Amino acid sequence: MADKKRHSVPLNRDEVTPKHIYQNRRQFLKQMGMVGLGALLASCAPRKPGASDIPPDAPVNGRTDELGDALTSYSAVTGYNNFYEFTTSKEQVASLAQNFETDPWSVRVDGLVNHPGVLSLEDMLANFNQEERIYRMRCVEGWSMVIPWVGFPLHKLLAEVEPTADARYVAFETAVVPDQMDAVDSGRFPFPYLEGLRLDEAQHDLTLLATGLYDEPMPPQNGAPIRLVVPWKYGFKSIKSIVRISLVAEEPPTLWNIVAPQEYGFYANVNPDVSHPRWSQATERRIGEPGRRETLFMNGYADEVMPLYEGMDLTIQF
Amino acid sequence: MANIHQKIRVEKLIRVAVHVGSLFPLAMVLWLMVTGNLGFNPVETVLHRTGHAAVALLVLSLAVTPLRRIFRLQFLGRLRKPLGLYAALYAGLHFAAFAVWDYRLNLNLIWMEIVEKPFLIVGLVSLIILVLLAGTSFRFWQRKLGKKWRWLQKTVYLAAGLAVIHYLLAVKGDLLTLQGAYTAPLIAGGLLILLLLLRIPFFYKPIQRFLNHQSAKPGEKE
Repeated sequence: MADKKRHSVPLNRDEVTPKHIYQNRRQFLKQMGMVGLGALLASCAPRKPGASDIPPDAPVNGRTDELGDALTSYSAVTGYNNFYEFTTSKEQVASLAQNFETDPWSVRVDGLVNHPGVLSLEDMLANFNQEERIYRMRCVEGWSMVIPWVGFPLHKLLAEVEPTADARYVAFETAVVPDQMDAVDSGRFPFPYLEGLRLDEAQHDLTLLATGLYDEPMPPQNGAPIRLVVPWKYGFKSIKSIVRISLVAEEPPTLWNIVAPQEYGFYANVNPDVSHPRWSQATERRIGEPGRRETLFMNGYADEVMPLYEGMDLTIQF
Repeated sequence: MANIHQKIRVEKLIRVAVHVGSLFPLAMVLWLMVTGNLGFNPVETVLHRTGHAAVALLVLSLAVTPLRRIFRLQFLGRLRKPLGLYAALYAGLHFAAFAVWDYRLNLNLIWMEIVEKPFLIVGLVSLIILVLLAGTSFRFWQRKLGKKWRWLQKTVYLAAGLAVIHYLLAVKGDLLTLQGAYTAPLIAGGLLILLLLLRIPFFYKPIQRFLNHQSAKPGEKE
């Protein structure tokens, strides 16, 4: 470098920085910096409050689940979501899903049932008594929440449509609305999102069709207007924004099982002793709580649900 | 003469930009922490941000030599060490967030996680290499180790490769069918492979010749 000969390069007038700009270059840089910093700060500004009447961090009045664990704040429950049809970024789902159209909404119930049909959301809200259920939600990624859902047990709906004797499984399907769901056409996942339960699991009283949370209608990011909640299974089983429920004879395909069968089993019961192939499931981060806590077998619902799995090896059928 | 001064200024500006840019992710994390904007899963946010910074800086530090060669920008060589040190710093912070903040130094749990899962072993090996390289990056060790030092510093490629694998394994999805949020780690891996290839004379010589030919002006030939 040092031994290189240097020649001055001929320049045109328009290639030379004008003197007044050159002399003010520091000022100019400072201004540029300010613009950049301003943009950065703006991106950190708190999100605009939603249409909800509940203030972002409404006190939860010391309410707890049956184990004595406090409810997760409303803002976390509605601000930290996995809903890959919108985005894989959990904290951006809420804003991207705000314009998701859920009125009118209906669910087609078909397959091996005596009374197939299309149920509107209004019908379901009117026909099935809506009750509050406080459940723990454990995500396969290793975090958890305590959520006060509003809804009705799925067995009530199943009793209405009467599964035939051949029905052994229930298959669920999420809506696919490409012009409202930004990531549905990304090609990363084979949407529609599909889930399934064995019929006896679907008929268990803990299994809920949720239509709301924190006493308000289901927010779009949480799976409006109606979603499944199966509290003893990893969160991905609790399929959102359901448009179809089918009674079937064979184990139905489910999205995560299609994507990575060695990692996500059909049953997906919360089990600290069965590790995900790449990370342990022994502990979890409770959102809003420091540190980690031990993950409970069947997410703490073992007494209620273990009769479903008698004689099964849960490390093989995971 | 003015040209040389200008060049020195530009080089200095680039050096300053490298330091500022490298410290920016850390400043950002601290800022978010102080203002309470780390989100609903603060540990995860910090793990992601420090991890991304470490991988990005590793890739940048490995881009120095190929870029210096191809564009004949000798002064770039001086950026390699700070970029590598910053990468090691972020890898260390990443591990600290995992071990101290997330697992509260519960050694039983940490050990269980580490021995059970390739995901963590891969990251840990990468971290150990980076810390070792950072520790021996100073002149004292360079003199003391002699030829071995150069060989040792080359293991940075192993560390970078393992870091990218660690990143790929952290994604929820399936690597074989690429179903999942794999864009960022795959870009990092692709860049890494490209940078490795550009070290081979067979690949970088033709580019160098081509660029030379393009910019050939009287008096600028070497």
